[in-house]
Amino acid sequence: MSIVDTLGRLITVELLSSSLRMTTPVLYATLGGIFSSEAGVLNVGLEGLMIIGAFFGVVGSVALGSAWGGLLVAILACLILSLAFAAVHLEWGADEMIVGLALNIFGYGLTTYLLVVMYDVSGYYSSEAIAGFQPLHIPGVEKLPLIGSILGGQFALVYLGFLAVFATWFVLYRTPWGFWLRSAGESPEAAETVGINLKLMKYSGVLIGGILCAVGGAFLSLAHLNLFSEEMTAGRGFLALAAVNFGDRKPLKCLAASLIFGFADALAIRLQRFGLPSQLVLMLPYIATVVVLTLSAIQRLAAQRARMSVRG
Amino acid sequence: MTARTEAEVVTDTSRLRAMLSSAGLQLLNYALILLLALGVGALAIAASGKDPVAAYQALLRGAFGSVRALANTLDRSTVMILAGLAAVLAFSTSVRNLGIEGQLYMGAFIAAWVGFGIDGLPSLLHIVLAFVASAIAGAAWGLVPILLRTRWDVDEIVTSLMFNYIATFFTAYLVAFPFKSDTTILPGTDPINATAKLPRFIRGSPLSVGFPMALVLVVVVYWFLFRTKQGYELRMVGMNPRFAAYAGLPVKRSALLGMLLSGAMAGVGGASLILGFFGRFITQFSLGYGWDGIVISLLAKNNPIAVIPAAIFYAGLANGSLEMQSATQVPTMLVSTVKGVIMFIVTAQVFLRHLARRSPR
Amino acid sequence: MAEAVAMLGITKQFPGVLANDDVDLVVEGGEIRAIVGENGAGKTTLMRILYGLEKADKGTIRVKGEEVAIPNARTAIALGIGMVHQHFKMVPSFTVAQNVVLGMEPHRGVLYEEGQSRNDVLGLSSRYGLVVEPDRRIMDASVGEQQRVEILRALYRKADILILDEPTAVLTDSETEELFAILRRLAQDGLTILFISHKLREVLAISDNTTVMRNGRVVGTVRTAQTTSDELSEMIIGRASLESASRDRAAAKVGEAVLDLEGVCVHDARGLLAVKSVSLQVRSGEILGIAGVEGNGQLELAEAITGLRPTAEGRIALLGNEIQNLSVRQIREAGVAHIPADRYAMGVSADALVWENLCGTSYYEEEFSGRIALSIDSILSNARVLIKEFDVRTPTLHCPARNLSGGNLQKLVVARELGAERAQLVVASQPTRGIDIAGTEAIRSMLMDYASRGAGVLLISADLDEILAISDRVVVMYEGQLTEVGTVDASTRERVGRIMTGADL
Repeated sequence: MSIVDTLGRLITVELLSSSLRMTTPVLYATLGGIFSSEAGVLNVGLEGLMIIGAFFGVVGSVALGSAWGGLLVAILACLILSLAFAAVHLEWGADEMIVGLALNIFGYGLTTYLLVVMYDVSGYYSSEAIAGFQPLHIPGVEKLPLIGSILGGQFALVYLGFLAVFATWFVLYRTPWGFWLRSAGESPEAAETVGINLKLMKYSGVLIGGILCAVGGAFLSLAHLNLFSEEMTAGRGFLALAAVNFGDRKPLKCLAASLIFGFADALAIRLQRFGLPSQLVLMLPYIATVVVLTLSAIQRLAAQRARMSVRG
Repeated sequence: MTARTEAEVVTDTSRLRAMLSSAGLQLLNYALILLLALGVGALAIAASGKDPVAAYQALLRGAFGSVRALANTLDRSTVMILAGLAAVLAFSTSVRNLGIEGQLYMGAFIAAWVGFGIDGLPSLLHIVLAFVASAIAGAAWGLVPILLRTRWDVDEIVTSLMFNYIATFFTAYLVAFPFKSDTTILPGTDPINATAKLPRFIRGSPLSVGFPMALVLVVVVYWFLFRTKQGYELRMVGMNPRFAAYAGLPVKRSALLGMLLSGAMAGVGGASLILGFFGRFITQFSLGYGWDGIVISLLAKNNPIAVIPAAIFYAGLANGSLEMQSATQVPTMLVSTVKGVIMFIVTAQVFLRHLARRSPR
Repeated sequence: MAEAVAMLGITKQFPGVLANDDVDLVVEGGEIRAIVGENGAGKTTLMRILYGLEKADKGTIRVKGEEVAIPNARTAIALGIGMVHQHFKMVPSFTVAQNVVLGMEPHRGVLYEEGQSRNDVLGLSSRYGLVVEPDRRIMDASVGEQQRVEILRALYRKADILILDEPTAVLTDSETEELFAILRRLAQDGLTILFISHKLREVLAISDNTTVMRNGRVVGTVRTAQTTSDELSEMIIGRASLESASRDRAAAKVGEAVLDLEGVCVHDARGLLAVKSVSLQVRSGEILGIAGVEGNGQLELAEAITGLRPTAEGRIALLGNEIQNLSVRQIREAGVAHIPADRYAMGVSADALVWENLCGTSYYEEEFSGRIALSIDSILSNARVLIKEFDVRTPTLHCPARNLSGGNLQKLVVARELGAERAQLVVASQPTRGIDIAGTEAIRSMLMDYASRGAGVLLISADLDEILAISDRVVVMYEGQLTEVGTVDASTRERVGRIMTGADL
């Protein structure tokens, strides 16, 4: 079979469609990471926040009987934890990496424990009581040529995700508040000179990050799957970190990175049907991350060198 | 920092000493962490409708309550000591190696391979070979992240994290296909040959020579860090890279060495579990021992000797939780929550250290 | 014109140093006042107090006739005071316009009004002749343009009292001319300008009046038109203070060249040329003093010689062997010792123990270690000898270095660098900055003693008293270039003072 044929069999509409869906959790976490990083706080605890979001999304969904209710509860839980994270770092001066790790360990531990305590199961919890998100069928979209079948029938949060990218860009680059946030992260001295409250900006960045991670996490457990399983985020929070790094905190570039990861995720599942061992294929997103980070670092060094030589 | 008089220094010094270096205070420090974390745990247990006192009694029984229990705990602490040492080695030189878990996996797999793949060797040689191979495997797994950092300034936090996942999936693949074993239902390799098994102390208990080996390695690591040239370089680079560069110390080489040694130690840790308790490589063998190692190194403040009590404590928690679950139905996962709280408290400890550092000047 | 700023009886004490000692400064509206003096004279502290970044211990401040308290920068800005810092405080990735309006952006609802911001900037720009490109990112702007942006930022906030801290330190001659034209126009418009400088030529060119400060006190205020650079220079440098440890120059036995620099060029962190084709020689038994206000390339020169920074061009030879661009260890092994200017960040490792700091450059030698293991006993006994010989007061060898006082820390550095008696060349940068008198005496004696044993000492110091006290020969570093002054005698002080402040150019 020729390469074109193989590619044709591989890259189906279904693959691209599920790529979009699998990009979404990472995308939200990435956007969350952008806000936090732009404020000057590197949050390696995105993973922990996502798993909390995933779990409490399910909790809320069962308790309130709707997926959007679950989303609300997830956001609340993540807000509380983000506040704790920010406080320990900003008020008590703890190293942001260690606190971020603590967030991850705590998130994993708490959700695993509560899984057993609240639902009397271990490993995973799946039930009729979990109200999941329903796919949205926007009339015009599905009729579009070529991309219609890929874009159509996605969950609302998928569409909102792309809107969120635009919103992130808009807030950061077209509103005064965005300038203040970015100046607090990039040049705290300059920000202070003009009277911007650094701490307030950093808290804001971290809290918004928490909210977005909550959305990403809740999407994971409530869209398409309708269950919560231990450690289901599987490192997506770290992939988000890599995406923020690769895209240099610019929303559009980070979106590109997230799409790559989502595609790799979906590809991994598809390749399994081809008989390729799932384990090998599931390594793809993580290997891609290392490659992507390396290329981005090399490019950054080259740009720096170019700038220095021009001035000399 | 500014100029000060003689008198000021003397009083500050004695004040500092009284404040920080008294052994009694260190112990109080640990006791406080313990109390707080267990307190939160007790709340969680009570909230779920069970009796915290009974639960903790069971926990203690399972951890240290009998010779059998103690033996189990010490055996489980082996891998934690080694993971803790791995973290100490990396963090002493300011290399943020978050890939210890993955390096553990690779070491474990290689040890299993050497264990069942080679026949007819005398036991001592076989075991040593397996450990050496696992050390190399672990070090190799840390090589890429550290090379990327020294060459292109790629942050080792994310890359080493990624290699964790690559390791778990890769070994899962190996176990599902090339090394698939007919002898077990669980996804795992063939059992290792008898000659590779770590000899045990007490019949019926898994406590093996792995434990004293880990203790010996603690001494070795301590000696390395505080009594050798390379160890000195490693620590100086970690404490102040600008000073290190100014004095002519090899900064990049130290980072590389620190990471490789860390990976090697993690590999040995993984191997100890395979050659000891499990007797074969199975895919889900590690309960996050790599992460435990990182927290243990934080609790031990990067002192290899202090890793021992911290590791035994963690092992006690893990063992005790099984007894706690069977006796009082409090799920073992409670322990993971307690561990999380410990982590949070430890990060606050960093603040206290910061405060103490800033005050005399 | 009416009084714009009056600072009366200002006193500010920092630990160990009286930065401002009962200082009076009265400036009229529309005046351009220059405040001159050496490093540590107190000029920057005084201006920081005016801008709310520091609080005076004693004294009053009047702004436009009214007595005020200025607890922070926000208040200063509200009072119409703006400050242009020596090290620009801007956001590199933002544009010129975005930096100017930062914190008070024009907006409609939540939307940032890019267009209006651009127009505002262009308006101010044309009004005062401050040529800038509103949409250019700051990181791509030239240094001169960046400075204009800082000024615009103050003007955008309706400042009518402008403080400039060493504004010409980073400008070329033509950029300086442009800046002066702008300042004149601003003053004509009624703004009051206060600027700190150590460059007399420029001070004479632009200011109406000049206030001279020395050691925290105001020496005097003169009408610029009626003074000369010689007079100012004398006021700045003053007569020599206490003749403490002083060099016995007659007894110095000077031999062959130990260090030889030819046409050395070094870049600074921003990629600009900080050391411009410098040539010098240090001979054995000699102390060569490089005088000069900090920031004229001394740091880069010291780092190039000791291997901490690449040498872009030129030749650095030690005892005839080329050492430029070798590794730090190779240079040290060739016989170079380095007492760095930044003692806390570089000279010691604060968390490491005293003995660990002392053996930092010698731990790997045969005497102190085997193939793998350190000979801790030898290291410790050597450490004990060193701290005795160099009078390093520490309760124990096993405490972290951060416990030591500033003076003792520096003695520790000196002990490590000179104690092995291996170095043929000692590069000593600002060796007694921030140290009390006793410590200063001790360290100067150590340096002179070491030179008398045949080594060459390159002393880099912004403290002219120090240079004059212990150097044999003096050169002055100004804007990256060296000017030879010659052996130290009675006339040296005056001559050096003029060169240091650019008066001779």
